Amino acid sequence: MSQPTLFVEVHVLQSLPPSNANRDDSGTPKQAVFGGARRARVSSQAWKRATRVEFAEAVEPADRATRTKRIAALLAERLTRPVTDGGTGLDIAQAERLAAALLEPLGITKSSKKEEQSAYLLFFGKRQLDDIVKLLNGRAAELAALPDKDLKAEVGKLPVVATLSTGHPAEVALFGRMVADLPTLNVDAAVQVAHALSTHAVRTEFDYYTAVDDENTDDHGAGMIGTVEFNSSTLYRYAVLGVHQLRDNLTSAEDTRHTAVRFVDAFTRSMPTGHQNSFAHRTLPHLVLLTLRTDQPVNLVSAYEEPVVGVTGLANESAVRLADELTSIATTWGARPSNILAAYNVEADKLTEAFGPSIAFPQLLDSLGELVGQWLADAEKTKADVR
Amino acid sequence: MTDHAVLVLRLAAPLQSWGGPSRYNRRETRPQPTKSGVLGLLAAAEGRPREASITDLLNLRLGVRVDQPGSLLRDYHTASDYRGIPLPSAKVNAKGAQTKTSPPKYTGVTERFYLQDAVFVAALCGPASLLEHLEHALRHPAFPLALGRRSCPPTGPVSLGLQDSTELPDALAAVPWQASAHRRCQVRGTEVTLEATVEDPAGDQLAVDVPDTYDLKTGTLFGRRSVRHLWVTVPTGRQAAEPADEEAPPASTGHDPFALLGW
Repeated sequence: MSQPTLFVEVHVLQSLPPSNANRDDSGTPKQAVFGGARRARVSSQAWKRATRVEFAEAVEPADRATRTKRIAALLAERLTRPVTDGGTGLDIAQAERLAAALLEPLGITKSSKKEEQSAYLLFFGKRQLDDIVKLLNGRAAELAALPDKDLKAEVGKLPVVATLSTGHPAEVALFGRMVADLPTLNVDAAVQVAHALSTHAVRTEFDYYTAVDDENTDDHGAGMIGTVEFNSSTLYRYAVLGVHQLRDNLTSAEDTRHTAVRFVDAFTRSMPTGHQNSFAHRTLPHLVLLTLRTDQPVNLVSAYEEPVVGVTGLANESAVRLADELTSIATTWGARPSNILAAYNVEADKLTEAFGPSIAFPQLLDSLGELVGQWLADAEKTKADVR
Repeated sequence: MTDHAVLVLRLAAPLQSWGGPSRYNRRETRPQPTKSGVLGLLAAAEGRPREASITDLLNLRLGVRVDQPGSLLRDYHTASDYRGIPLPSAKVNAKGAQTKTSPPKYTGVTERFYLQDAVFVAALCGPASLLEHLEHALRHPAFPLALGRRSCPPTGPVSLGLQDSTELPDALAAVPWQASAHRRCQVRGTEVTLEATVEDPAGDQLAVDVPDTYDLKTGTLFGRRSVRHLWVTVPTGRQAAEPADEEAPPASTGHDPFALLGW
């Protein structure tokens, strides 16, 4: 009936020292009420951006995505490159004319003031431009010599929109893209990220500060006074990646495996940068739990509906609660993950019982890669059998 | 009538957001799940593409019970181009291209509203075969499920299963109270009265939340449906008349002006 599905869920427990990683318009750290208690919150948008930036750092510049209005200029520049360098060797005027014709079906008309800019920001992969150049199949000079009308007709036969709708860069495949004018270019995100919530109740604290005027010799007063709001929290962070959806977005199984692993790595290690220099809140998690499921994703935030009261430490108790929740959900509604992988530095027998032994994070990613690769190979085989 | 059934859903999460027609920078939430949101959840579970027809889903009649009303959360949200380029403005030039803001504005501000700490029960009445199919899809969704907005994944089971065909109010009254532990502590009696809204052609209110399509190309236009508000009384699971509670007022006096506030 429907295609097989694989969800990779990432559950992270991470403690932040006094910090204000994500604040609202009055400077207060974001909050939410859950289970009747006020919690620290970091919005999903904030953490997705941090993840995206972290993700892009390890990607080859040529493979990266870019969000730009300058697609026409980038394409023209590629067309002017010599043939040996993947271009077509046209002169700049011809290249610009050809680029404009190629991009016309996208509705990317030039803005009148800024010659190089299109009407909206398009999030696409640099490799996709190379693919558009390849569509010309060595006919660039021939096409560029045609009069406007014939050029339009000839270029109209080339699948430019289809090229931009396939072979997405990993970032677009993960986080999605929406183009209101041209829905064929839309990509549904393969990743869902929940707002991070503290496992316990928090109160916002105010840090009163004064700043000294170094050159002031007149009086002993402060040069400036103010307050910064902050809290400290142990956060439960949750994200789920639809591997099947990612494969549909990326088409290649090897890219899918690689991107899934890189996403988990980037999500785990990233941190929103709000007030980073004031609080240096860059921490690493106490616990990373990966659950692979072929039926449905399960958000374990319900473990903290009753806020944790830290008698033996918030992180410790939060981790035990997470283990209990995973086990109880598996028993009560039979939703057992097909695989569990975990890395943790919290001592408790319960954790080992629920998650298996702790694996160092790099090895955890390797194991994830193997499992995802295996699933992709099996899915490919099933598809072939059906055919 | 045996070819009809009722599918019962439990909609709970720290955050949910059920938007209706809302524009520009203020994205509001309704106090209860909307038909558009619930049908969207079902369509996502099935893996329907956005441009697929949803006419078969539109005929499902929806009832919603407020098990825990939650409260409103305002989320301040900014967006900007990471390379420091000014935002596009609402104006277009003679060629129809969007112009940049002048004087340049670098950060767009939006407000998003959420319901925090809320729990709802939704019941859908319709053809049994369709609902069976949807129930299976909820347990094996193609896209991860979300309560109104993608950053709001549900907690706990979403599907509470299928019931035999009954009227929506009866179906809602048959589902045990789904509130969380802290809410249960606040209710002393053996019964709790919950607000509910059911779709009813003879209803005296209109809800503007019936989608025509989820296709982004055309955008969603919202149609109207008639609804009726009612109260549903369900057991709290508490034992009657605990000896220590003798001084407490009788469990039900018939009129509770604060009921709508969930106090």
